[in-house]
Amino acid sequence: MTEVLASRSFRGLAAEDAIESVHNDLDSLWLDVPFVQDMDQMTFTTAVIESASNIVQHAEPAGQEPVELGVDITVQPTLLQARVSAYHAKPPFGPMEPATPGEDAESGRGLALIQALVTTVTFERQDGTNTWVLSRTSQD
Amino acid sequence: MEFSYEVKDSYAEVKADGRLNMVSAPKLREFVTDVIAGGSNRIVVNLENTAFMDSSGLGALIGCLKAARQAGGDLRIAAVQPQVKMVLQLTSMDKVLTSYTSAEEAFSND
Repeated sequence: MTEVLASRSFRGLAAEDAIESVHNDLDSLWLDVPFVQDMDQMTFTTAVIESASNIVQHAEPAGQEPVELGVDITVQPTLLQARVSAYHAKPPFGPMEPATPGEDAESGRGLALIQALVTTVTFERQDGTNTWVLSRTSQD
Repeated sequence: MEFSYEVKDSYAEVKADGRLNMVSAPKLREFVTDVIAGGSNRIVVNLENTAFMDSSGLGALIGCLKAARQAGGDLRIAAVQPQVKMVLQLTSMDKVLTSYTSAEEAFSND
């Protein structure tokens, strides 16, 4: 069984406040696992916040219930993993492919940035929930 | 995030302290727009105390850069911290948003 050294979970309405809460959770998580390299902390934090922000900004409710954001982060000896979920959400509209916006574009860089920051990123949709799974293999 | 500004001899220095994310990005844009409307079109955004920036924050900086140029000036950034530098490099925007060691240096050769 895989050893989980530290974890944090957040679930709440997909709203601006949630982003600050998730960021605070990440800051406190790193205090629990000081052996995780600064570069890994920095890249992983950025990827998680990018994904959570994408949900807050773009996820649309599938029915009456508002979209909720869920973020589950685990630290294993050589793996950082986050499941970033949009509950009660419609499937994402449009392609989930990173865009290549022009120099003066003010948006559209998020997906490409996430891909550059983590080792793997996958997307799942199950039971009305969209989930990004972000994994970063720790540097030795 | 907290914003402040100070008008210097040849530029206005804007400080953005905290996390430049989807929450604060629109506020930065509004703040800088007001500084430009106040008569300063040469802006230095001092990022010394900006510990974090995501793509929303980057988008706001680009919006501010465009606003400064439309007003006949320019926008430069200073004292970039490691996480912000990483985001600028990974998005190749370090070529567009010129970074200087300090706010004083940003317009010193103009």
